[in-house]
Amino acid sequence: SLTRQPEEVFDIICKLGEGSYGSVYKALHKESGQVLAIKQVPVDTDLQEIIKEISIMQQCDSPYVVKYYGSYFKNTDLWIVMEYCGAGSVSDIMRLRKKTLSEVEIATVLMDTLRGLEYLHLRRKIHRDIKAGNILLNSEGHAKLADFGVAGQLTDTMAKRNTVIGTPFWMAPEVIQEIGYDCVADIWSLGITALEMAEGKPPYGDIHPMRAIFMIPTKPPPSFREPDKWSPEFIDFVSRCLVKNPDERATATELLQNEFIGMAQPASILSQMIAEAKEIRENMVYRLSGRNLVESDDDEPDSGTMINASANDRTLVPSQDLYDGTMIGSRTSEGTMIEHCTGTLVPHGRKGGRTMTDDDDLADNLGTMVINTDEEEEDADSTMKRHQTSDGQANKSKYRPLFLDHFEKKDAEKLSVDGAPPAQVSPASTVAQPIPMTPEEQKRFESNLQRQLNQISAGSTVGVIARTVMSAPSQEPAPVAVIPPSVPGANAHAENPVKMQRPFMDGDFEFLKFLSFEELQQRMSNLDSEMEREIYDLRRRYQAKRQPIQDAIDQKKKRQQNF
Amino acid sequence: PAPRHTEFHAPPQVLVPANPYLYEEIPYWLQFYSRAAPEHDHKLRWELFRLPELDCYDNVLKRLYKQELETIVMNYEAYRSAMARELERRRAEGHNRHF
Ligand SMILES: Nc1ncnc2c1ncn2[C@@H]1O[C@H](COP(=O)(O)OP(=O)(O)OP(=O)(O)O)[C@@H](O)[C@H]1O
Ligand SMILES: [Mg+2]
Repeated sequence: SLTRQPEEVFDIICKLGEGSYGSVYKALHKESGQVLAIKQVPVDTDLQEIIKEISIMQQCDSPYVVKYYGSYFKNTDLWIVMEYCGAGSVSDIMRLRKKTLSEVEIATVLMDTLRGLEYLHLRRKIHRDIKAGNILLNSEGHAKLADFGVAGQLTDTMAKRNTVIGTPFWMAPEVIQEIGYDCVADIWSLGITALEMAEGKPPYGDIHPMRAIFMIPTKPPPSFREPDKWSPEFIDFVSRCLVKNPDERATATELLQNEFIGMAQPASILSQMIAEAKEIRENMVYRLSGRNLVESDDDEPDSGTMINASANDRTLVPSQDLYDGTMIGSRTSEGTMIEHCTGTLVPHGRKGGRTMTDDDDLADNLGTMVINTDEEEEDADSTMKRHQTSDGQANKSKYRPLFLDHFEKKDAEKLSVDGAPPAQVSPASTVAQPIPMTPEEQKRFESNLQRQLNQISAGSTVGVIARTVMSAPSQEPAPVAVIPPSVPGANAHAENPVKMQRPFMDGDFEFLKFLSFEELQQRMSNLDSEMEREIYDLRRRYQAKRQPIQDAIDQKKKRQQNF
Repeated sequence: PAPRHTEFHAPPQVLVPANPYLYEEIPYWLQFYSRAAPEHDHKLRWELFRLPELDCYDNVLKRLYKQELETIVMNYEAYRSAMARELERRRAEGHNRHF
């Protein structure tokens, strides 16, 4: 199948989403009329291993594992053709409904997931990327594991070039510690995923991924934020997964016997949830395409004055480059158009730009997610209220695209928000003068907006922070590395572009006593970005130190091949 | 005859082995290199090393990077909690003053 050009074989219908390795499209197999999903991954080297892995995946044949049909090369992209799951991922569904899953729903999803894991583990295969974003549901509500193998294989190849290691929040302690691991690493991730489905985000999901990396192996296993909201069976299930010692952790086969999984129902109980998500998705597409966001030449006053996203991304996503440099295939200028994929489109997150500043958004975003217990929902709602930032909820008379909320919540200093449309004003401290946009600016604005939209609606966040720098500096210079991450809100520091000093001396914190309360608060809110900056410098240093060694390695390998 | 181990500690059967450079001894010069100012880096003739050595050095640098990363994160962690404590103390104080 590798001989024919893929576009002769498939019609691409629309984009389904974006992940850390590439984009996923809905496609039609011309010959059979079958609908499929195609993941397009930019690749450069080590293709042999990826191909080998895909052929192994193709041998997997379980109703609980997304079926892989084959792969193609198109220029520098690898096209991975797989089964299409109409309802999208569990995290998509949560994000769209702004609602977590109930215990029965979780048990039902977990049962299929465990069967998928049992299937893989019996064949001694580790999935390595279990999370709600990789559990897909077909339209009947059957859950299937996605991204098995490819993720792992890609991670490996990238790890060789030491760019990447998976999303930290779901990672088992032994994986982070690099002390060797086995199939039960997936079980840890499953426990985290169970918490994610219940609470909307994984444990530590709202702290900086860098901190999470070092907390997961050192702290006791995480558990529910509010344990009294959950049944003892569910709590027990999670605690069987989240055992730090892999030898004592339950296996997939054992967990299938767990009492909580006994509460699983037929897949049909998920159909309402799926239908709801589908409707929201369709509305989103409809409304988005109804607005002028996609049409760049139309100078509707509204869009011209709504938000003046300045020309560079930096002002929108300040420290994006920190992570981008360490990520696989930075897909910077992709997906600037809103695609019309009714029924399937989820404007999905670019994993790249996730940084602390975005986390704040995401925390907000998830804060408004309704935690769904089996008890009365009123109660659940009210427990969430305290997380809610009460921004113009009241005057949300007409429909407004979801992401506008986030624009408002975004650090006011970072955006110039025009005061014009009343329903959309946020109490921004720095309100810029309305500046009419030129067509070029507007185009840029739109592509920024789309990018933001992608990030924002990738609310399940966490998944998104993605591919954190944990292994080591990337050997390629980061595409945007010239710009040091700006420190949001740190005006005091921003005035001083010279290399920033660490705001404290190691171990001696006496001086804190002499700072004003405001100063303390200010410093507290700048902490993560200051830490990011130091990490950024560190990464650059090691990048430079390793480069000559890697060059020498490459040269020697080339010479070996020539003999 | 060589003494026999009575308590043999079998390595657990893992699919993904531990990072082989995790416990590698780090040569002093490499540690020095990792922290030295970059001016003289270009003088090092890496091509004189053998391939496995280079691989090892590269991986050791990766480990040093991770170590330094951890140090940074942990320093900030200490700072963070000192600050949280101080803020908490002030809040409690303010509370007492007002009521
Ligand atoms: N087989 C499929 N059928 C339907 N939708 C899919 C399929 N595979 C992926 N998607 C959609 O595309 C999105 C992106 O998938 P992708 O695997 O690239 O990223 P991810 O799972 O979010 O993160 P990661 O890159 O870590 O796996 C998913 O969230 C899902 O909405
Ligand atoms: Mg995926």
